[in-house]
Amino acid sequence: MRRLVILLAGVTVLAAGCGGSSGTSDSPKHLVIAVDVPVTGSPYVAQTIRQGVELATSNLNGGGGLRVGDRSYLLDVKLYDNHLSARQAVEDARRALDAGAVTIVTDGTGVDATWQLARRRGVSVCITYDGGSGLVDAERRPNVFRIAPTNHGIAFRYAEYLIPKQLKVGLLSDDSAYGREGAADVDHAFSADPKSVAITLTLPAGQPDLSAQVLRARRSGATALLVWGQPPTIAAVLSAARSIGWKVPVYTPPTGADPFVRQQLADHPTWVDGLTFASGRLTAEVGIGPFTSFQSQYEATYGADPVGVKTREGRAVVQPPEFGMYSYDFVHVLVAAITHAASVDPAKVTSALSQVTAQGANGDQRGFNEHNHDGVVDDDVYFARFRDMTYQPVQDDPLSATLPPIPQTR
Amino acid sequence: MRRALAATALAAALAPAVAHADTQQVLLPGPTPYPTPSPPLATTAPTVGATLTFRIRASSEQRVTAGVADDGSVVAVRALQKLRLTGTGDYLIVVQAPVLDVRAAAGSQSQPGQRRGQILWAGFASRRRLLSAQATLRPGPVLPFLPLRLRASRDGDRYMLTLANATTTSEVAFHGAASRAELASLLDRTRRESLAGRRLTPVYATIAGPVSQRPQKPRIAAPLRVTGELRFPRAPSAAAGGVVDGHSVRFSFVLGDEQPLARRVEVTGGGGAPRLHVEARPAAVVRGLRPPAGAASWRSTRLPPAALLRTLIDTRMQLVRSDQYQAFLANPDPVGRNRTSYVYETAAVRHRAPLAGSSGGGSGTLVILLAIVGAIVAAGAGLIAWAHS
Repeated sequence: MRRLVILLAGVTVLAAGCGGSSGTSDSPKHLVIAVDVPVTGSPYVAQTIRQGVELATSNLNGGGGLRVGDRSYLLDVKLYDNHLSARQAVEDARRALDAGAVTIVTDGTGVDATWQLARRRGVSVCITYDGGSGLVDAERRPNVFRIAPTNHGIAFRYAEYLIPKQLKVGLLSDDSAYGREGAADVDHAFSADPKSVAITLTLPAGQPDLSAQVLRARRSGATALLVWGQPPTIAAVLSAARSIGWKVPVYTPPTGADPFVRQQLADHPTWVDGLTFASGRLTAEVGIGPFTSFQSQYEATYGADPVGVKTREGRAVVQPPEFGMYSYDFVHVLVAAITHAASVDPAKVTSALSQVTAQGANGDQRGFNEHNHDGVVDDDVYFARFRDMTYQPVQDDPLSATLPPIPQTR
Repeated sequence: MRRALAATALAAALAPAVAHADTQQVLLPGPTPYPTPSPPLATTAPTVGATLTFRIRASSEQRVTAGVADDGSVVAVRALQKLRLTGTGDYLIVVQAPVLDVRAAAGSQSQPGQRRGQILWAGFASRRRLLSAQATLRPGPVLPFLPLRLRASRDGDRYMLTLANATTTSEVAFHGAASRAELASLLDRTRRESLAGRRLTPVYATIAGPVSQRPQKPRIAAPLRVTGELRFPRAPSAAAGGVVDGHSVRFSFVLGDEQPLARRVEVTGGGGAPRLHVEARPAAVVRGLRPPAGAASWRSTRLPPAALLRTLIDTRMQLVRSDQYQAFLANPDPVGRNRTSYVYETAAVRHRAPLAGSSGGGSGTLVILLAIVGAIVAAGAGLIAWAHS
């Protein structure tokens, strides 16, 4: 029996070893891109990241795949569900590495634990959702990259945007990892002008009723709220404020645009009106064309991402594939790196990632460099405001004012 | 490549002239092309699709610092570049340089990125934006493009420093029959632009008859204004080419512009090697464009037109060369203003590690032995303390 187990283990190891580059010299080999996302923890995020990767790889495979030296390669996507759990992310990373993955695309869950595992094999990790400041460090974590707006960039852009408005800002954050990380960056950004801060509050994540905390913020004299938290926290703050008739402007990170917020407040659509969120710009200076082209292709392949709410005119609202765009772009940067390295060796590809640039889905150049493994620069953070369940770039910020609105109804 | 282009342009200008032997407008040197490809520094790194839209203008201010050894050879190079953007819009800027490291410098409103052979900037400018980078460069590829060469030596208590203008190059130039009045007017205009520190504007000369290449290529150098200080351990007793000021010898001159391209500073005494600080700036052509006999304008001169044309072309070439050295690192805006100063300083002394087998090695062994003994004693004391607790 023990011999049989050893034999099976040996066969398994051999099969895993072949996973990264199977096939004969005549037929195309296969390169694995692992996608580790919270399929069961945050399904919208997981779906859009996965679909962005799959769209890019299917386009590339449809064109014959990659040619490296005298060999052709097709890109395979392997999906893992991290359940928003760091422990599960570690397990997923091990399985992905055993499957011969050349890179791991992730929302950011568990990267603090997985990057070292990946680094031992020379494999890169690319975050396409979480903007946590400590996650990416070009010197300490040379194999970790990110294409997503950073918390640091969003916090400083908010300080730049809100402080001149002479508002007394209530800085609210929930006690999730996302909220805590964001709070640190917000505190730092607003430390330049402490007088602009009315109160700093930590909110319990996942609690649907935050009326006590919101009332406290109101009594502190806050004339605006910057809420850094998960979508349920943002929905709960809006609900608590609006239900007592407090029309305080509410500002949020990208989670404010999560469909969950609008779904939660679907019965009170006016409560969403005025909600402002910050995120990475979807369009480049060349205009809306490249992004809408990407969006059309995305929707033709997977269908639009429905938000689950309607406008007053009864039109269904859809979510533009922002984070899908980031994972789509990363695949193109990865391919540029493979071409630059003229190798599929993960270590060489990882090294080349900081030397290449690819055309992004929004028409911008997308790439990393040796000092900065973030593919979305802080300058590209813009602000958008909700009205009638859809959002438009604000007009009182220089960058945002230059951006065209993205169609969001079908 | 640019030299080839310039020659081709000249050939194109000459060809119809010889064929028709007619009056024609010939473009004079300036503001471009530059006679050599570098500066600005260039590398073979693959280019990114850099963009700086017409809505954004950029001016570049640079300070290139060369660390020099006691003999005057350059051992390290740093460059501080301040790009001031004006206008609103996206920017993606790639500055080519053999960069070892780059960091944001004080006041920068964004962080620079680094790739092999490139400094990158990307973002959005809202009316004004300062991009300031401090880059450490590989000295080898950079040395040929530094404008000043230093050579220092000692002979007994005499210290000698030679400073030579290293911007000299040969260029193709033309000659032909032109009107004195027009040439005088062009010289006055060129002089005004030079004295105002402005980049040359394109101008044409009317040439009657054939236009041909001058038999000898003129040797062109950018005028360099050089100021410096040599600080000695003790007060020098005498100096030639500079002025003794306490423990220092100071000097200031222009290399080029009808003045020598090399100067020598000789110092007697001083009690050892000095700390050197020399600053060189590409300068305007002043003497070369001064009208003869103290006249206020070239219009009053009686020099033959051939001499005026030669002066006009040569001085304009010098100004182009000077403008070229104003951008050691490239400015993404081809018509943007550039200013560069080149600083040469005595490099920090590197202390060598003591050689193995020297007395230092013995003391190292002693330290290790003492550390081992100390550790044993500390462990024993800890054991005793634990036993009595």
